[in-house]
Amino acid sequence: MVFLSLSRWIRSRGPDRYWRVQEVLKHARHFRGRKNRCFRLAVRSVRRAFVFATKARKAKKRIMRTLWISRIAAATREHGMKYPALIHNLLKCQVALNRKVLSDLAITEPRTFKSLASLAKRRREEGFLVALGDKGEPEGIFSRIVHSQFPDATLNPESVAA
Amino acid sequence: MTASVVRGCGQLLRCPSVFCKGYLRPGFLNYAALCHQSSQPSKLPVGYVPETSLSKPPWPEVKLPDPEEEKKQNIDVVHKVNDLIATGQYGRLFAVVHFASRQWKVTNEDLILIENHIDAECGERICLEKVLLVGSENFSLIGRPLLGKDLVRVEATVIEKTECSPKVHMVFWKRHRFQKKKFIVQPQTVLRINSIEVLPNLS
Repeated sequence: MVFLSLSRWIRSRGPDRYWRVQEVLKHARHFRGRKNRCFRLAVRSVRRAFVFATKARKAKKRIMRTLWISRIAAATREHGMKYPALIHNLLKCQVALNRKVLSDLAITEPRTFKSLASLAKRRREEGFLVALGDKGEPEGIFSRIVHSQFPDATLNPESVAA
Repeated sequence: MTASVVRGCGQLLRCPSVFCKGYLRPGFLNYAALCHQSSQPSKLPVGYVPETSLSKPPWPEVKLPDPEEEKKQNIDVVHKVNDLIATGQYGRLFAVVHFASRQWKVTNEDLILIENHIDAECGERICLEKVLLVGSENFSLIGRPLLGKDLVRVEATVIEKTECSPKVHMVFWKRHRFQKKKFIVQPQTVLRINSIEVLPNLS
């Protein structure tokens, strides 16, 4: 293997074809059919396998997350709530447990998960009460429903002036 | 040019023909108009309130317990848990620890594998300080988001520092003469959780 010219150097395909072939076949030995011994077939299937492995490593993260979410959703419904309500209210309580840990807790530590669910439930009820407010009108809005329901509700200064 | 104009006209003509079939028949139109004129507004009872989010919120009625009583209850619970911790009446503790950008649920004697190197030698003892939750049989302490260092202490030992088996990162575009191949080897660390301690400093 003497590279007397540039064109010769480009055409040379490395030290030994045998070892280059073995490098590929090494990954194909457990394949089924002629793929595990014929280089021409093995190269393609090994390449395919590597690409699948690369993509699967990424996809696994997404799949696991959906699995955790469905587990948490099932466990949350046992406590009379839905998944979004639990997650949203835990977020509001600044509880930073992630979905992996929550689903683990739901499976292995039902008492702890129950306390988390009751915490979220309480936060939710407080949020409901705040959303109702003092039963008056929002600023700049005249609502006949508010007046018919709660006749002694405080009127907006704007609506009174109008 | 002419072809495109003709095609456009065809589409224009086709669209109304669809509607003509159902709705724009002359008889149908007149009937509908008559109906609308003859219909009278139905009389509603006096004081009727339509069901909206203002008149009736879409959730069942919420009734929170009395704040004074609740305060007393909370103080009682804190005392009780502090007593439990002080007298050591808890079983095996578990903790949720944030470490290496991941959350781990650990107990005593656990081994955890971290896909990175950490800045401690083998055999060194480290303290995991980001504790999110501690639980036992009778109580669980939930951090918002973390529990204080004076409340919980989780200790671990570095047992092993190795590398993972090589993983192939391959990208291949068919018919484009494009492929990339890289072998990825990541450092790994194994930790042993030695102890999880709770102190009766709950407030």
